[in-house]
Amino acid sequence: MAELITKKLTKQFGGLVAVNDVSFSIKSGEILGIIGPNGAGKTTFINLISGIYLPTSGSIEFDGVDISQKPAHERARMGIARTYQLIHPMENLDLLENVMIGFLFAQKQSIAKARANAEALCGTMGLANLHRPVSKLTMLETKKMEIAHALANGPKLLFLDEVMAGLNSDETKDMIATVKQLAKERNLAVGVVEHVMGVIRELTDRVIVLESGELIAEGPYSVVSKNPRVVQAYLGGAA
Amino acid sequence: MKKITSGIFPISLVLLAASLPLFLGAYPQAVARSVFTYMALALTWDILLRSGQVSFGIVGFYGLGSYAAILLAVRAGMPPAVAIIAASLFAALIAFALGFLVLRLRAMYFSITTLALAEIFKVIIHNWNSFTGGPEGIVLPQVVFNGDSRALYWLSLGMVLVVVAVSVFFEKSRLHYSLTAIRNNEIAARTSGVDIFANLLITFTVTSLLQGLIGGVQVFSYGFAMPDSAFDGNYTLLPLAIALLGGIHSTWGPIIGAILLGVASEYLKLKIPYGHLLVYGLIIILVILFIPNGIYGLVRKGRSKRNG
Repeated sequence: MAELITKKLTKQFGGLVAVNDVSFSIKSGEILGIIGPNGAGKTTFINLISGIYLPTSGSIEFDGVDISQKPAHERARMGIARTYQLIHPMENLDLLENVMIGFLFAQKQSIAKARANAEALCGTMGLANLHRPVSKLTMLETKKMEIAHALANGPKLLFLDEVMAGLNSDETKDMIATVKQLAKERNLAVGVVEHVMGVIRELTDRVIVLESGELIAEGPYSVVSKNPRVVQAYLGGAA
Repeated sequence: MKKITSGIFPISLVLLAASLPLFLGAYPQAVARSVFTYMALALTWDILLRSGQVSFGIVGFYGLGSYAAILLAVRAGMPPAVAIIAASLFAALIAFALGFLVLRLRAMYFSITTLALAEIFKVIIHNWNSFTGGPEGIVLPQVVFNGDSRALYWLSLGMVLVVVAVSVFFEKSRLHYSLTAIRNNEIAARTSGVDIFANLLITFTVTSLLQGLIGGVQVFSYGFAMPDSAFDGNYTLLPLAIALLGGIHSTWGPIIGAILLGVASEYLKLKIPYGHLLVYGLIIILVILFIPNGIYGLVRKGRSKRNG
């Protein structure tokens, strides 16, 4: 059972407060949606949790340990993983080798063991022809590789940053089923950033809404989507 | 079977290289030693390049190793083998300490800083007359092996084989994965558990150790060190040209590049003095424009096409 808790988490870039006083928690077995208009601070929020940025103030606690100041690679080894909105796979490594990285360094496995585990993981993700260069993959395969790359950390907590973007509706359905199944099988805590509300509705147990870095609403999607403040944040003006 | 045959080629190459002094005179042996020196330096540059860091300071640790070796022999009376090993360790120690500063830098800031470091080492040695001999340099009472050209050739070959072995180790071990990940996407590497700084520090220290070793071997082969020769910018430039021509991010590339450029430049030196430098410049330009992955890059491409 893993749990991540942030308390009054804040990140400031010069005069801009990208994440402002956000307190929330997520635990194993839960799929949490993180929504909000462009520039709301969703990706910055994930960057803070994964350790790409260190917070200006506030704290992040994972499994009872304060990880606010820990470097990213240590957080990866503790069981935090994420995907990237803009995917830049390791182009000099093939598909399988890309997936091996987390097994090798987050889980500190031997090359032989990492290779075997990466092959198995790719199999369950429906990825084949594992020695292709990553430039030859389809969009769906690239997205799946990105998730496999994150799962290779052996995470307890996984953040997916717009993994559905760019997929057609069949591929999106496929991806939703994959994520649900993975979360269940591995008892993961999953944070999902998506702009497509249909995906959020289908996939998540609960959502948090960010606007200008602040958490403005929290609850099941069906409730939050009717919240006047959320509607206003999305549509703007006097809605 | 594939493993056995793939081992035969390198082994016969080593045997051929080891037996060359039996057929060749002193002059070609000296040319070969110079080829080995540049080959080894090109390999050390390439090993660090596999992490994405472009060093312009190869000569810095090479020169440091040269001077450390000769000073340990002249001032402390150490025997050659001990002095060379101690000099390598000294270069490694300096690199390890400086690594905490320079490995925070990236891209051109890292490159320029390594260039500056080499210059700083040179200036210190140049001006520390009483200890280093200053601009006039320092001379060994006796070259190793009494200057026997065959023995010096084998020493140089042994040195390059050590560097090749380290390069192959970097290609086959976990370091291959961590360094490639760092080079391709540093942020994603971090969130996959790769300790960027530790990996860069190990690589920077090991490559500097090897550069110190190459300097130490060189100084005992020639018997003297001067700031202008030990810190000659060619020791930075030529290895770069060699690795680019042969093919970066590989062990074979610098080996191929050093043989081609080494032999070609020796020939051109005789035809047109300083003409070899012109050729180096042209090669860098042409390679970057037309075969950015070098000769071995073409071989690799051809091979992967054939395999499907």
